[in-house]
Amino acid sequence: MVKYFARRFLQLVVVTFIISVLVFLLVHLLPGDPATTILGANDTAHNRAVLFKQLGLNKPLFQQYFIWLGAVFHGNLGQSYLNHESVTHIIATGWPIDVELILISQIIAFAVAIPLALVTSRRPNQPIDNVATTGTFGMLALPPFVIAPILVAVFAVGLGWFPATGYVPFTQSPATNLHDMLLPSLAITAGSIAVYYRLFRSDLISTLQEDFITMARSKGLSSRWIMWRHAFRPSSSSLLAAAGVNVGALIAGTFIVEYLFALDGLGYSLVVAVNQRDYLVVQGITLVVAIAYVVLQFIVDFVFTVVDPRVTRG
Amino acid sequence: MGIFVTSGNEISRRSFLSRGAAAGGVVMLGAGASTVLAGCSSGSSGSTTTTSTGSKAGVGTGKPVRGGTLTVGTIAEIDGFYPPNNHWDTNGFLYANTVYDPLMAVAADGTIKPYLAQSMSSNATYETWTMTLRPGIKFNDGSALTSAVVKANFTALKASPLTGVALDQVASVGTPDDMTVVYNLTGPNPTFPAGLTTQVGYVVGEAMIQQATSDPSATLTPVGTGPFVYAQWQPNDHFTATRNPNYWRSGLPYLDQITFKPIPDTNQRESSLRTGGVDMIESVDPTTITNFSGSGGSGYQLVDTSTGIIGQPSFAFIMLNTLVPPTSDLSIRQALAKGMDQAEVQKVIGGPPAKPATGIFLPGSPYYSDTGYPTYDPSGAKALVSAYKAQHGTPTLNLLTIPDPLEIKVVQVVQQMWEQVGFSVTVSEVEQATIIDDFVFGKFQAVTSYQFGAVNPDLNYVWWSTTTISPIGQIGLNFTRIDDPTIESAMLTGRHTTDQATREAAYKTVNEQLAKQLPYLWIEQYVFSEVADGRVQNFANPTLPDGTPQYAFDEGIFVPTQIWLAG
Repeated sequence: MVKYFARRFLQLVVVTFIISVLVFLLVHLLPGDPATTILGANDTAHNRAVLFKQLGLNKPLFQQYFIWLGAVFHGNLGQSYLNHESVTHIIATGWPIDVELILISQIIAFAVAIPLALVTSRRPNQPIDNVATTGTFGMLALPPFVIAPILVAVFAVGLGWFPATGYVPFTQSPATNLHDMLLPSLAITAGSIAVYYRLFRSDLISTLQEDFITMARSKGLSSRWIMWRHAFRPSSSSLLAAAGVNVGALIAGTFIVEYLFALDGLGYSLVVAVNQRDYLVVQGITLVVAIAYVVLQFIVDFVFTVVDPRVTRG
Repeated sequence: MGIFVTSGNEISRRSFLSRGAAAGGVVMLGAGASTVLAGCSSGSSGSTTTTSTGSKAGVGTGKPVRGGTLTVGTIAEIDGFYPPNNHWDTNGFLYANTVYDPLMAVAADGTIKPYLAQSMSSNATYETWTMTLRPGIKFNDGSALTSAVVKANFTALKASPLTGVALDQVASVGTPDDMTVVYNLTGPNPTFPAGLTTQVGYVVGEAMIQQATSDPSATLTPVGTGPFVYAQWQPNDHFTATRNPNYWRSGLPYLDQITFKPIPDTNQRESSLRTGGVDMIESVDPTTITNFSGSGGSGYQLVDTSTGIIGQPSFAFIMLNTLVPPTSDLSIRQALAKGMDQAEVQKVIGGPPAKPATGIFLPGSPYYSDTGYPTYDPSGAKALVSAYKAQHGTPTLNLLTIPDPLEIKVVQVVQQMWEQVGFSVTVSEVEQATIIDDFVFGKFQAVTSYQFGAVNPDLNYVWWSTTTISPIGQIGLNFTRIDDPTIESAMLTGRHTTDQATREAAYKTVNEQLAKQLPYLWIEQYVFSEVADGRVQNFANPTLPDGTPQYAFDEGIFVPTQIWLAG
């Protein structure tokens, strides 16, 4: 077990390093540079040279990379070329929004998908199963940029239950925060519900056909007991794997919801920085998100070993 | 009204193009002195709706109420508060009007009036301008507004690569006493004071300049004389300022606090207004005007720039490169103009019906004239294309745009129109950050854009001057590379003359010459709008320190000083 985790940790470090190199190179491969945004109509050759020197962009690329990496190891991710805001501050103010969006959306997704799958897997191909399967299929086809305006039109403008935009930190007012974050979270929930429901339902149906379930039934155990005690855990490994991957996708996918609901999260900050070629902001956010993602996968791997100890033997 | 209406990117492009003129070297060259700009207004300030109570939108009724917080939903974020370093577009000037004051300001009748300045006058040759500052004005850090501070601002602005070119014609600044500033110009300029209504005319405290000088990478906190004092700025989330208790304009401002919230999506911005998340929004989307007119506007006040422009408005257009084939051929540019159905393109953009665009001025402007701009004539376009084809083969061109859904829709319609008259047209999308490079390096044949809003046409000199043309591949601010000595001569006449009739004739010539040379195919006026909740009073009715009405709504910029919230 220890050897398994040591190996996984080493992989994590290597992956993070590779990501840092790739992010740095990709950002610098983008056409254009920050000079255009910073200098505007005064983007002359002379002014560009002066600016590049000021920003250290005149140095060879590998040198720029190691200067940046050295600073990162000292906890300094640099600052925006445009408004001089520290990247650490951008991340510090942005991450709670992303984490909260993802957390609330996943809680809702599990809260809907799991009970629904538990009910329908016991009655496959019955009307309730058909309705749920068709409904979740529809959810899968609805991207957040379609759902968000509908949610706003109905629940904010129409019924006035929720604000169309607005964000108050959880620490400032938990109730207002949750009230503000519900619509944006719902906008990214639909896809997760569909994926989790379909995977879990399918695995449950498969598990319920196993011999040990037949044995349990023959012992006269109740359906509820069999479902929770015998079928739930063996059926949840795919769900767990999907959740791990899905959260990664959601980190990238929160941008559109942040844009629509005017939330200053990491996704929105990242896209703004890419458009402005604000290299250090792009590099900093991408690096932190990448590390968060690989750490999350590491945690998912750990949880896997709890759910299914056989994986450590591979 | 405009293309570039749906994207959050639009602001940075506008910053470069529209306000880029201010920052790009023409601020101090143009605009107008009080005598020469007096005839430039084409109406009252802004087009307004009438509220349900019958009052004029944006004009306060009843006794001003003190207190309250105003929250404004803006289109995008700015990059900072420091005039020498940051690009101010509409939002930049909104923020600036909150925490700073300008030396001079544009009055509702188009004249240039003192603001932080008490008076400004020139010598007989317009080569030396003397400004006297208002006494007793203090910055929010307690320091006094003196001629030394104004000179320190000038020095920082002049040293900046962003704003330095704008001050090229100022040879030196003298400070004979604490309250007097003398600008010695390199040549005569009767329109000099109007330049001080723009970014280089906003004055920041010396402490801010010192901080910027000692630590260029510092995030600067504004030190200003403005009606509000900086409280908090979290870029892309909000900027909040609180009432300046020591504001030099007695009894102002009325609000206790003002918060600006960038909400890039237009629909969401409108929803936020309707659900009370914000009290007021700005927009460049023509559908906002439609959505808040008629029954949809009940309880709201709408003000827009479709009328009441001082100087010239912004226009949306397709820009043609006059140095690269086939658009280097005048007959091809004529064919493209005749082959584009402007009215149909305007319908695609949407919003209220737009007026025909035939040049850089609107009817009502003293510079407006019948330019002879080509009307839609597919047969004429076909004939011109056939003639070209006989000599050079089928004219092929690439129509460039940014990846914005509305812009793409527009270029697809235009592509279809041009192909119908015999062109072979491809459409390319280029990202925001790189399309500006294509402009300055001349790497395009045809490209969608918008530009030219200015209180004085001279502010646009740099874009049409023969002195700013560069070969393709080299940086040139005359993007279209239009090389017309008649335009150059007329622009210089407009700049130097003190005679309004001569000025009007000069700019009419420029407008007519642009219609002949066709470096731009006009689409429609680019209209800015503000919509406010019924409680928001007086957002389009500011007055100057001398009590005369101020130009309320230049390119969507309002002044928060005299806004109040009805109970």
